[in-house]
Order: sequence, then C-alpha cells, then structure tokens
Amino acid sequence: MKKRMLAILLAVSCMGLLMAGCGGNQEEQEPEKKEEVQAEPEESEENHEAEAAGGVDAILADIEKQMNDALGELPESGKGERIGILISSTANEFWGTMKTRYEEAGKELGIEVEVFEASAEDDTAGQLDSLQTMIPMDFDAIIVSPIDGTNLIPGIVAANEAGIPVINLGPGVDADALKDAGGHLDGKITVNFEEQGSTVANDMISRMKDGGQVAILSGLEGAGQSVGRTNGAKNVFEETDGIELVATQACDWDTEKAFEATKDILTANPEVKGIFACNDNMALAAVRALQEMENKDVMIYGVDYTSDAKAAIEEGTMMGSMTYSSTVYTKAAEEMAMLLAQGKTFEEPVYLPLTLVNQDNIAEFDGWR
Amino acid sequence: MRKWFSKYSQQIFLLAVMILICIILTAESKYFLTWKNIKNILEANSYRMILAVGMTFVIASGVMDLSAGAVVSMCGVIMAVSLHAGFSVPAAVALGICSGAAMGALNGILIHYTGINFFILTLAVSGMLRGISLMVTDGKPITRFGQEFIFLGIGRIGGLQLSVILAILLVFVSFPLMFHMKWGNYVTALGGNKDALEKSGIHVGRIRISVHVFLGATAAVTAVIITARLNSAEPNAGMNMELDAITAAVMGGTAITGGRASIGGTVLAVLILGVIRNGLTLMSVSSDYQQWITGFLLLVSVLISEIRVRKTGALMK
Repeated sequence: MKKRMLAILLAVSCMGLLMAGCGGNQEEQEPEKKEEVQAEPEESEENHEAEAAGGVDAILADIEKQMNDALGELPESGKGERIGILISSTANEFWGTMKTRYEEAGKELGIEVEVFEASAEDDTAGQLDSLQTMIPMDFDAIIVSPIDGTNLIPGIVAANEAGIPVINLGPGVDADALKDAGGHLDGKITVNFEEQGSTVANDMISRMKDGGQVAILSGLEGAGQSVGRTNGAKNVFEETDGIELVATQACDWDTEKAFEATKDILTANPEVKGIFACNDNMALAAVRALQEMENKDVMIYGVDYTSDAKAAIEEGTMMGSMTYSSTVYTKAAEEMAMLLAQGKTFEEPVYLPLTLVNQDNIAEFDGWR
Repeated sequence: MRKWFSKYSQQIFLLAVMILICIILTAESKYFLTWKNIKNILEANSYRMILAVGMTFVIASGVMDLSAGAVVSMCGVIMAVSLHAGFSVPAAVALGICSGAAMGALNGILIHYTGINFFILTLAVSGMLRGISLMVTDGKPITRFGQEFIFLGIGRIGGLQLSVILAILLVFVSFPLMFHMKWGNYVTALGGNKDALEKSGIHVGRIRISVHVFLGATAAVTAVIITARLNSAEPNAGMNMELDAITAAVMGGTAITGGRASIGGTVLAVLILGVIRNGLTLMSVSSDYQQWITGFLLLVSVLISEIRVRKTGALMK
C-alpha cells in the first residue's frame, strides 16, 4: 500500500514537473527572443558610432530602395496582418539568423509574424507536418522555404484550397511537380545565382588590366546554386577579350576537392590570375592551397560572406565574396506577403539585390545584417 | 478495481497526461480543438501509428528491430524505381510490400537461426539496407510519381485520409490478433518464456519469422504513405523512425523484455507524442522541447511500470 502511494505520488509530482517544464519553456523563451531582437540592433548602432556616418546604413538604404523597386509598390501600412513563416530548421545558423530577422522586420512593419520550423534540416516529413498545422491558423499569407523541391507540395495545395496566398522564399519548389499536384505559388522571392557569378567575374576582370587566365571551382554538379553561379561567371569570362577560362572544376562543395583542384589548376596553368569558387568554404580551401604553393598573385572570390571569408578579405588573402542583406530579404518577403493579402498579384519572381564585398569596400560593411 | 488499476497503471498515466495536455493546449491555442487540426494530428501520425503497432508485436516477442527505419527507406526507393521503370501503381505497391515482408523475414531468420543478439543483427541489416538505398539513389531523392500514386498519401475517402483509415483498421485488427488469436498468444509467449513454448511443440522459428514479416509489411505500408505524401523517395527517409516506434511501444506499456503487450498503450503513446508535436507547432515553440518531453514521459511511464512489477513480485513472495 505504501509503495502504491509512493507510485502515485511520484506520478503526480512528475506531472507537476512536466507542467512546470512546459510553462517554463514559454516564459523563458519569450524574454530570450526579445533580448536577441534588441541585442543586435544595439550592436550595430555601436558599430555606427565607431564609424563615420554613411557606411553600412547607407548601403542598406540603397539596397532597400532597389528591393522596393523590384517589388513595384509598397504595401499599405500594417493593419495587424498575420503572416506565417516556415523555415527549414534553426539548427542551421543561417536560418536561425533569418528567424530573428523575420521577427524584427515584422515589428518594423506592424504585422504579426509567427515562425515555424522542422526539427532538423533533413526532416522533410516534419516540415510538411508543420505546414499542415499552420493552414487552419487563419494566416493572411504564408512564406515557405522548403527543405527540398517536393516535400511541401501537399501543404501548398492545401493552402491554395484554403485561399491562403503562398510565397516561396529561397530554395525553390519544383514547379512541374507542384503543377502536377494541382497547386500554385502566389509569389517567389529569391537570389539570382547567375548574377552572383557575373558580378564576381566583372569585378575580377576590372582588376586584370592586361587580361589573363582565370578558373572556376564549381559546387555540386546539378545543384541550382552551383550551375547558376558557374554559368553567370563563365558567360562574362567568355565574352571578354583577353580573358581565358582555363578550367571549370566541379568540387561538390567539398573543401578537400577544392584544395586539390586549386593545386592541379595552378600546376597546369601557373599564369592563372583569378579563381572564382562557388562558395566561401571552397574559396578558403583555395587560399590554403595557394599559401602552400607560396603563390600570392592569385585573386580568390567566394560566395556567402561567412565570418571566415570576412577575416580572409580583411587580411588580404581573399579578394571578395558575394552577399545579400538578410534584413532586406526578410522585410521584402513580408512586404510581398502584405501586398498579396491586400490583393496584389505577382507574375514574375522578385530577385534580391546582391552585394559584392571586396578588399576595397569591406571597411564599410561593419555591422552588415 | 484495485487490480485493474494496477494492471493498467501505465495506460492510466498516459491517458491522464493526454487529457492534461489537451486541456492546456485548448486553453493556449484557439486552433487546437478544431476538427481541421485534429484531422492534421491524425494524418501526421497515421504512419507512425502503423509502424509502432508493428513494432509492438516484435517487442512483445522479446526482441527489437533497429532496421525498421531503413526498411522504410529501402521500400520507398524500390517503389520509386519500379514506378519510374513503368510499373503500374498496384504492381509497384505490391512489390514494395513484398520487399518489406522479405526484409522482415531476413531479420527473423537471422535472429532465429544464428542466435546472435538481435541488436547487432538488426543494426547490421539496417546499415546494409540504408547503404543500398544510398547506392541506388546516389544520395539524391527520386521524385514525381503521378497523381494515382500520390493519392495513396494524401487522397481522402469520406473526409479521412487513406493513411488514417489504414492506421485505424490496423489498430482494430491488432487487438484480436494480439489477444484473442493463437498467433498473438504465441508471440507474447515467445517473449515471455521461449523454452516453454518450444517444449509445447510450437515451431518457434515460424513465429519469430512471421512476427518480423508483419513488422516488415507495416514498414512497407509506412513507406507507401510517406513516399506518396512527399512525392519523393529519399534514401534518408525513415531516419530514426524505428526508435520513435520503440519509444511509443515501450511508453505504452509493452515490456521491453517481451511477454507483455499493450496495443492500446501504443496507440495512446503515439497520439500523445503527436499532440505534443502539434501543440508546440501551434504555439510556435521550438521543436527542441519535443525531445526533452518525449524522454521524460518515457522515463516516468517506465518507472510506473517498474514499480508495479516489483510490487506484484513482492506480493507473490
């Protein structure tokens, strides 16, 4: 009897704990979020004070203007629209930042924003479950960034049926498969990968007065980002007199492969003056390969502007990296959602303005967000 | 009454937790107690339910199958490849389910005839199957199978998704199968006292293999649902799904050592985990908490069972 009492007591106290756990989670999380939201602008404000006026704010304002031009018009001021946003997973630092930016932008625009996610970056079924859960929640619009091209399609179809506009941000939904399933997207906002490649190629050429040899380190063969960036750069190189593209090597985003490929390319073509790597990790591998070969005459460019790339550009081992503003990106997506909720339609995808950070302008990018 | 309470203490605990969570969620979110949301919960958990019921039988027989998730991925890939090769939908599904059953049979045969620990055997099979999935697909998803196949994942009959109907049917069939038919009795006997079963002249190997064939088939049905729903067969599909199924079965009161099973407990556990997942999403709370809550509930549920077993042991002395 005593033991039974003990068992019940244990069960009850455990459930109490459970409740406390659940309640605590929320309470703890709320202030945490707020802190995050507040902390970052403060940080950048400090940076501004340290710097001369203009700098990063002027760049951001300029980008925002370009973005607004791309959107066509601005939404009427927020009337408390509710936007549901589905990202892949905050386990990836990138999406963690995007979540914070979404929440900041929502505040600025005067709308209600709720961010949902999957439990992991490869949890395709879990992400679909989240989308299905969002549909009865009466959102005025939903913004989705799918884990792969097809996993969210049944949810998008369900949103279509419920009359909720759907925007696709970033990684694309497979258009043919969506059509097969009888669904459609109401808006698309993404990065133009070809432009990332061509911008780098143009900057590289401008630094090669007498022309010369260049090379490209591609990512995963067939991956959209890799194909777009490679083609964008290739077209510019091929159209420019005096520039010879001597190698385009697929390195599958793999730093080891990029390291080996750089050495091979330089061994075969010692005169190469510039290398464009389709992401920063591969660019940094190329930097290490050049250091090993004691070659300081090759300009290296990457994409993503990671913190390591930033350091490399500052110390002069990398020439530049492509980036974009996550602040402008998320704000534009939410403005697009508001426009859709207010009855506007978008036929064409909206492309995000891109920015090249290089050794000349990096000082202005302190506090970039 | 006291006996009854003692016998079902674990399930009563789960039911109490379920009611408690539902009350909290109803108060916290106006969307929780709507038919649409309840339908979502059922749809999102139908395939988990199917696999967990299959796993309940295997655990009742005294072993666990760590390859179930890999079987899900392998069956998905087999169906995807055969659909792309021009098989009709019924033929591809039949092939998928037969393959699942065959992979289950392989596990059962290995466990029965080698006598090596099931943990190692099914882990090895899991690695091999996952490896084949990766080799066949080159690590990339195979997508797009046409409307007829997609219907199996998202199609509705009488307002309910096919997967939900399948899960409900399976649960209803499982009760008599487990508790009122010879086969079910042999399965629990196999987990409870294998020697006695052997001595009574039953071909233990047949029972062992058939229970794994059953799990293999439920894994294949799971594969049909998720492949059709996502319109994509992925080599990484079903990752950790076997652990979720084991968690649900054990949380529900099926003894990890075999010999005792609770289908009702498994159903409750799957629904509780599903409701928690749904509730966290509704309140847009990070899914990180899901892990903690799952672990905690599992621990408490097993503790309650342990206390009961010790008590009955003491009474018997």
